[in-house]
Amino acid sequence: MRRLFPLFLFGAAATALVFLVLPVIAIFLRVPPGTLLRQLDDPVARDAILVSLRTNAAAEALLLVLGTPAAYLLATRRFRGRSVAVTLVELPLVLPPAVAGIGLLAAFGRTGLLGTSLPFTQGAVVVAIAFVASPFYVRAGIAAFESLDRTLVDAARTLGASPARVFFRVALPLARSGLAAGAALAFARGLGEFGATIMFAGSLQGVTQTLPLAVYAQFARDFDVALAVGALLVAVSFALLLVVKWAPSVSTSTFRFAPSVSR
Amino acid sequence: MRALGLLLGLLALGGSKPTVYAAASLTEILPRLQPAARYQFAGSDQLAYQIQQGARADLFLAASPKYPARLYAQGLVERPVVFATNTMVLIVPRANPARIRSVYGLKRKGIKLVIGAKGLPIGDYTRKLLANLDLTSVLANVVSEEDDVKLVVAKVALGEADAGFVYRTDVKPVRTNVYRIALPAKGQPTVAYEGAVVRAGSHKTEARALLRRLLSPAGRTRLRDAGFGLP
Repeated sequence: MRRLFPLFLFGAAATALVFLVLPVIAIFLRVPPGTLLRQLDDPVARDAILVSLRTNAAAEALLLVLGTPAAYLLATRRFRGRSVAVTLVELPLVLPPAVAGIGLLAAFGRTGLLGTSLPFTQGAVVVAIAFVASPFYVRAGIAAFESLDRTLVDAARTLGASPARVFFRVALPLARSGLAAGAALAFARGLGEFGATIMFAGSLQGVTQTLPLAVYAQFARDFDVALAVGALLVAVSFALLLVVKWAPSVSTSTFRFAPSVSR
Repeated sequence: MRALGLLLGLLALGGSKPTVYAAASLTEILPRLQPAARYQFAGSDQLAYQIQQGARADLFLAASPKYPARLYAQGLVERPVVFATNTMVLIVPRANPARIRSVYGLKRKGIKLVIGAKGLPIGDYTRKLLANLDLTSVLANVVSEEDDVKLVVAKVALGEADAGFVYRTDVKPVRTNVYRIALPAKGQPTVAYEGAVVRAGSHKTEARALLRRLLSPAGRTRLRDAGFGLP
């Protein structure tokens, strides 16, 4: 029994690993790498790459500009309803993307609450991506700002720095790596966004057809293109994951002050 | 291990009901015609692809002869038979925000037109129809290409799109939300539905019975009442 347990652990771990890695490897083994690369030159793939880059860049910018102050506020202030606010921020994380799509239509659709003309535009793709990806960034941001060395912030304040100056000159640089990791995760999630996009923005090559939408549109029509786009997404996602894993180790503050007595 | 095998077997067999892979435009009529079947509704091109990949279908009912013919040539299905025809219509939301009165009204700039994707039967029929009517320029107004006809219907019924090309039979279920605009007969492509029994299916007898039922007088009455044409 004593010898069996480690064996069981190894067996289970190996099975899990093979199960998780096999589909990913299969994408690359199905057709030769040369063919895979050539398929990326297909107009559908090329357009999807451009659409994905543009919409994800815009969504990421939106996240940084609005998400960073939001995370800072939620991390540094204690107010009534704060935990509710944090929970609401995390809601898209557990929401099925199809529900997000329906919700976005009900809110921003032409016949929705706000009655905008967003659907079917690239703006709709940006909104869908920002909606589903924001929790990844804001959560990481809250964690990063919460783990800041309070003594540094307090020191800046006692030395006469305004709250804005503290945010920009102390908190932001110190939280940099945590924020970067969150941004990379949010980007990875946004790049893979499918359900909310196809429902809210539709799918049109060169306009709203992002990489995941192109995989779906092509899989029954041109499987090689779908594979190539899939392979590209695997490669980019893997690279982003590496960034997330390594970013925290590139610490921004190399020296630490001794904790203050009050803590 | 034996329990796992049994479980997988159960999942695979799933009782004595045949599994029917059917074009999305058959969503309303099939369960009424034969409730004792499992249905998977989607674009015919996707269904054909899944059958090629070994999906456990017993009967394939497509909105075009193209895919059954392809699977037949590959030896995956028995000889296909035509069981219905259909006509195309243009639908607009009840509120008709773009004030479209005929297919020629689609030429106006800024109209949000939703159509089926290329390769999907309704998508190919739409392109053929527009070519027949010398209206391919309206393709510039397409804001989304959907993967089955019911998604086109949904985008128009929701009021998000200004217009969409669908089958005549798609209108009835959403008639409170959309208006139907007839299309010039000279533009109509031939829309034929073909069914074929999947060779690898485990319920071929039931599949053949369902196909026969579609071709029987009772089945034809049902099809006609739903707005389909008869071959």
